Amino acid sequence: MSGEGRPARPARVRVTAGPSRTGAPTRGIALPGSPVDDVDAVYARGLQRSQLRLAIGTVLGFVIVTVVLLGVITLIPELDEIAVLGVPVSWLLHAFGFYPVIAGFAVLYVRGAARNERRYRALRDIG
Amino acid sequence: MNALLDLLAVAFVIAATALIGIYGLRVSRTTSDFFVASRTVRPVWNASAISGEYLSAGTFLGLSGLVLLSGSEGFWFPIGYAAGYLLVLLFIAAPLRRSGAYTIPDFMEARLESRSARRVTSAVCLLIGWLYIVPQLHGAGITLQVVAGIPPWVGAVLVAVVVAAAAAAGGMRAITYVQAFQYWLKLTALLVPAVLIVFVVGGGAHEIDPAVVFPVDAGPSALDAYAAGSLLIALLLGTMGLPHVLVRFYTSPTGGSARRTTVLVIVMVSVFYAVSSVIGLLARVVAPDLAEPGVADTVALVLPTRVFPGLAGELLTALVVAGAFAAFLATSAGLTVSLAGVISQDVFSGSVRSFRVSALICAAVPLAIALLTVPAGLVASVGLVFVFAASSLSPVLLLGVWWRRLTARGAVAGMASGALSCGLALLVYAAVGGVGAAAPLLAQPAAWTIPLATAVTVVVSLSDRSGPPVRTGAFLARLHAPERA
Repeated sequence: MSGEGRPARPARVRVTAGPSRTGAPTRGIALPGSPVDDVDAVYARGLQRSQLRLAIGTVLGFVIVTVVLLGVITLIPELDEIAVLGVPVSWLLHAFGFYPVIAGFAVLYVRGAARNERRYRALRDIG
Repeated sequence: MNALLDLLAVAFVIAATALIGIYGLRVSRTTSDFFVASRTVRPVWNASAISGEYLSAGTFLGLSGLVLLSGSEGFWFPIGYAAGYLLVLLFIAAPLRRSGAYTIPDFMEARLESRSARRVTSAVCLLIGWLYIVPQLHGAGITLQVVAGIPPWVGAVLVAVVVAAAAAAGGMRAITYVQAFQYWLKLTALLVPAVLIVFVVGGGAHEIDPAVVFPVDAGPSALDAYAAGSLLIALLLGTMGLPHVLVRFYTSPTGGSARRTTVLVIVMVSVFYAVSSVIGLLARVVAPDLAEPGVADTVALVLPTRVFPGLAGELLTALVVAGAFAAFLATSAGLTVSLAGVISQDVFSGSVRSFRVSALICAAVPLAIALLTVPAGLVASVGLVFVFAASSLSPVLLLGVWWRRLTARGAVAGMASGALSCGLALLVYAAVGGVGAAAPLLAQPAAWTIPLATAVTVVVSLSDRSGPPVRTGAFLARLHAPERA
């Protein structure tokens, strides 16, 4: 083995992982506070979904009743002609008719939300 | 009108505010007392305080003025304010209470783990709050002008000074009792005159021709569907974006009690709005000559002397003046306390001393704006604040409570686009009055700015490569799960 024939040593190359394309390098490792699909988390997501369904349902109910009441007030001309204490019924309904609707839906929602939470508590305490 | 009696009424309200504030000072000692009343306020008192703070000059004087001026379309405002609390109840009351944060910017920072999202939220909160205090100060100005001939700036300065002093002295603990007292004062101040005047008018002292007093073309059937719909959406969603409304839920002990408190609030404000609407209907019967812009807002102050000449009318007017001042003081005090909480935590160290300095700043800025501007219709100015809050803060807040994928970038983009589009529309409308078909879109922008802000938030969040914070799932579970007993 002569000195000239020896092939040059290949340059040292530092091998690293390429830039991460998936964001956090620790994905999948149980960091403190990271999402874990334990029973509690599943129950909690279920509770959130049922509360959201209840809230959206209440809003829809409120909108439908409001539109119907508004239709009654605006589309029935007789209500403009009948007056109670000198004020047309359509004005009275517009001034005072919507508040009982709002309060009614508020009470219904609070009952429903408390019921959802009772169910969640029962599940959590059994599990 | 008897100026002396009216000024005595104002002095009484301020003295009562100061005394209850001093009582609050004796029982509030820690930083937590100052910010959220240590979370020990009973539901009835808390609901009275929330209602007292919510009922502003806009509904105390402005509602009857607007009904007198433009007919039954004025009723949409109180309906929207009350229904706004329904949405607060459905979507954010219990979750925000459980978040454990002191202010809305606190909540955003905890949810999004981002200082910049917090700073943008704080800036939007400050803008909304300051814009909301301005009409209260204007209301105080025109009240003193009408009842005692005092120049309008005196009333504005008076309210600003009292509010800054009370907030700096006692913080939230004192403010809670002051505002609970002010709700009942406001209700009494409209209920007593309303009942007495209804008896007199119903007894036949005034001839009512329904077709003249309540004409069909000013009635409910003359409905502008786009304007009413857009306004209602803004009022419904705007309530949850008001900084002083949210901070109140932190004073309930649990999420469930925050919900029950909100139901009480809805009933209490509805009762007040119904009474205020009665005054509006009576104004059309008794004082049709006041139906001019700028004058109409004073009709609730003038009505008693129109019906009862002599001392009885003067005493009733003094009662109404006392209620009106309670309205200006309560709303501006609530706003000042919550804004001072935001400033002291964002700019200063969050200590009691910095809270006091911030309270002074938060009363001085809107006072300067109020002195530099001319009062417009009180209901309309308050309505604009709701439109702005509904476009900038409410969509992001709702998504923050209910949507896992929200990111800090999405939240900032959503708040900025909502605030800019809504602010520009309102400014352009104020400058040129709208152009042809675009006029209603500029005058009532909520129907397109709220969907725009929501869409921007969702799109930017979804295309944000860094994704939502890893703790989002656990944080949302804490917001929605009931407290462990």
